[in-house]
Amino acid sequence: MALAGVCGFQQNVAKSPCTLGNGISDNLIDGAIHSSHNFTMPSNFDPVENLKQFTDPKSDVKIQFNHGTTTLAFKFQHGVIVAVDSRATAGSWIASQTVKKVIEINPYLLGTMAGGAADCSYWERVLAKHCRIYELRNKERISVAAASKLLANIVYGYKGMGLSMGTMICGWDKKGPGLYYVDSDGQRMTNPIFSVGSGSLYAYGVLDSGYKWELTVDEAIDLGRRAIYHATHRDAYSGGVVNLYHMKETGWEFISQTDVLDLHYKYQEEKQARR
Amino acid sequence: MTKNKLAPTVTGTSVLGIKFNGGVVIAADMLGSYGSLARYRNLSRVMKVNDSTIIGCGGDYADFQYLQSVIEQRVIDEECLNDGFGYTPRGLYSWMTRILYNRRSQFNPLWNVFLVGGLQDGEPFLGFVDKIGVAYESPTICTGYGAYIANPLLREAYENNPNMTLEEAQKQIERCMKILYYRDARSINKYEVAIVTKDGCIVKPPVQPETNWEIAHLIKGYE
Amino acid sequence: MTSVLSDINQEESHYAPKQAYFNPYEQNGGTVLAVAGEDFSVIASDTRLSQGFSIHTRDLPKTYKLTSSTVLGACGFHGDTLTLTKILQARLKMYEHEHNKKMSTTAVAAMLSTMLYSRRFFPFYVYNIVAGLDEEGKGCVFSFDPVGSYERETYRAGGSASAMLQPLLDNQIGFKNQHGVTKTPLSQEKAIKLVKDVFISAAERDIYTGDAIVLNLITKDGVKVETFPLRRD
Repeated sequence: MALAGVCGFQQNVAKSPCTLGNGISDNLIDGAIHSSHNFTMPSNFDPVENLKQFTDPKSDVKIQFNHGTTTLAFKFQHGVIVAVDSRATAGSWIASQTVKKVIEINPYLLGTMAGGAADCSYWERVLAKHCRIYELRNKERISVAAASKLLANIVYGYKGMGLSMGTMICGWDKKGPGLYYVDSDGQRMTNPIFSVGSGSLYAYGVLDSGYKWELTVDEAIDLGRRAIYHATHRDAYSGGVVNLYHMKETGWEFISQTDVLDLHYKYQEEKQARR
Repeated sequence: MTKNKLAPTVTGTSVLGIKFNGGVVIAADMLGSYGSLARYRNLSRVMKVNDSTIIGCGGDYADFQYLQSVIEQRVIDEECLNDGFGYTPRGLYSWMTRILYNRRSQFNPLWNVFLVGGLQDGEPFLGFVDKIGVAYESPTICTGYGAYIANPLLREAYENNPNMTLEEAQKQIERCMKILYYRDARSINKYEVAIVTKDGCIVKPPVQPETNWEIAHLIKGYE
Repeated sequence: MTSVLSDINQEESHYAPKQAYFNPYEQNGGTVLAVAGEDFSVIASDTRLSQGFSIHTRDLPKTYKLTSSTVLGACGFHGDTLTLTKILQARLKMYEHEHNKKMSTTAVAAMLSTMLYSRRFFPFYVYNIVAGLDEEGKGCVFSFDPVGSYERETYRAGGSASAMLQPLLDNQIGFKNQHGVTKTPLSQEKAIKLVKDVFISAAERDIYTGDAIVLNLITKDGVKVETFPLRRD
């Protein structure tokens, strides 16, 4: 065998009456060895149908991906505020309290993570690559509209295969602040306010009651933080810390990271003082 | 999805394997079951691969014959090169792991469990591979009902005497095959033993050990 | 083969018509645990490989040395673990030959993430933890979900006893929800002692954890491996 390998000897002269003769050369393996861009699966395979059995709590084998979230972003006169929680859950198990759900695509683009954690971070990394290539080709930054559409088109190609992501693409381009919602169904839209995830209902409640275009930067930051805090308070699948970003004409700036426990006591004190 | 074979037809039951000082023994009985029917009573489930490697097989017999033909052809190809290299037990074990894992990944498994035994650089080797590509090495391995009935006995024997001789190992195997015959309804009182030592490997002619059912009438209450 | 016949959907066989579906996965158990210190990291696993109520072998460590400063811990379905580690070793070798240097721990983690994602639609059922030293020589631990979502952390338990160990680590290393404690940095000795204690506790209550611990201590001098017996019942 070793000598045959060195000599480049091909063993198709006396091939066995089967397809296994060549050993392990197989697209399931080759795909993983040569690149990570090829998705490998058996032929005629329906990933949604075949993986259903493993979300069954009775099953011994449970493949549970990290899930659950509250994320929000809104536009105002000074740009875009992006605020997220940091909890990842797999079923009822809290897999992590320290997830970075704001994905820094480049200095002028942020994406948020809701749904499958791996889906979001992988595809937004792919998006980052495409945005960089766009910059190199065109000598200018990609618009938020174009970037979000790239992502929407990519994930639309995998429709029906079980991807799960709800993301907000936030940025600043020639037209000013940009905010788009993109999800794994292929949906893409723009609006001044978005909130995504299991805790989004609670966040919308706070957001809608305090939102106006003329907010100052400090007011906007406080509103975003409050909205996430209240979502983590009522939604079991959200929690951890609030991560806050501000998208400005000069690109994004990381504002703060606050434990919701500290916020709880802070807001309670405020409430008491008002009485 | 295309309908691949997702259930075995003619099956073999337990396979036992144990290392001893200077080699490995693998044994399997000769029954080919068709569901609960004892259909074939003289099927060989152990195989000599070359002078340092043997395998034993449980599960679907057709799949075993298929892989057997592949291995035989590959051994012939190997010998044609005449370069002094051949399959080592660890090499064959690794290859079989890949084949079985790949077939399970195509949703078209080879419905078998295999034991691979042999001498690797003078040291005994015993490995296990199953239909979904789980593989491990261990000084004693039993599959099927043997995993519950025989393996505890072999493990105890091995722990008390890790340097057993061939004779002692064979004695343990005989004892376990007998106990399995008493309790495993898909077994038969006829089995083959394959042995690897530094002098080469052999598949011994089938043996039919003496059995004793004197105490059988004491077992009541399950009717 | 009797065991083959019996693992066809046994639970439902009483009432439902028998449908022999092929299950490509299996839970083979095992626990891994990794802790990062200032200039070291520790990653340990038990050595039991089981399937259902039987123990396949008592001597199968679930940590895999990748480079002189990176160790992977992987448990879940052993068939996938074998395949994943094989591909990883190949990729590391390819990297080494192409770049004439060993891959850094952070790079191994990033690569593992994309490798896991390449099987997004037919996942590797493996829970991975990578431990080692980063480019600055600081201890680091990366934990992964089966499809490649990953995060750098200071401590993480994975596998069958992870739900028992993680809260304990939150308390002992993370000092979570403790007020007025001085958060002392973790020393090497304390880390090793803690890891051993924690595994002894896991073996007490988790049937898939036991037999022995294999403990890897990663420092700038390389990987030191130590084994330690656990209860075997």
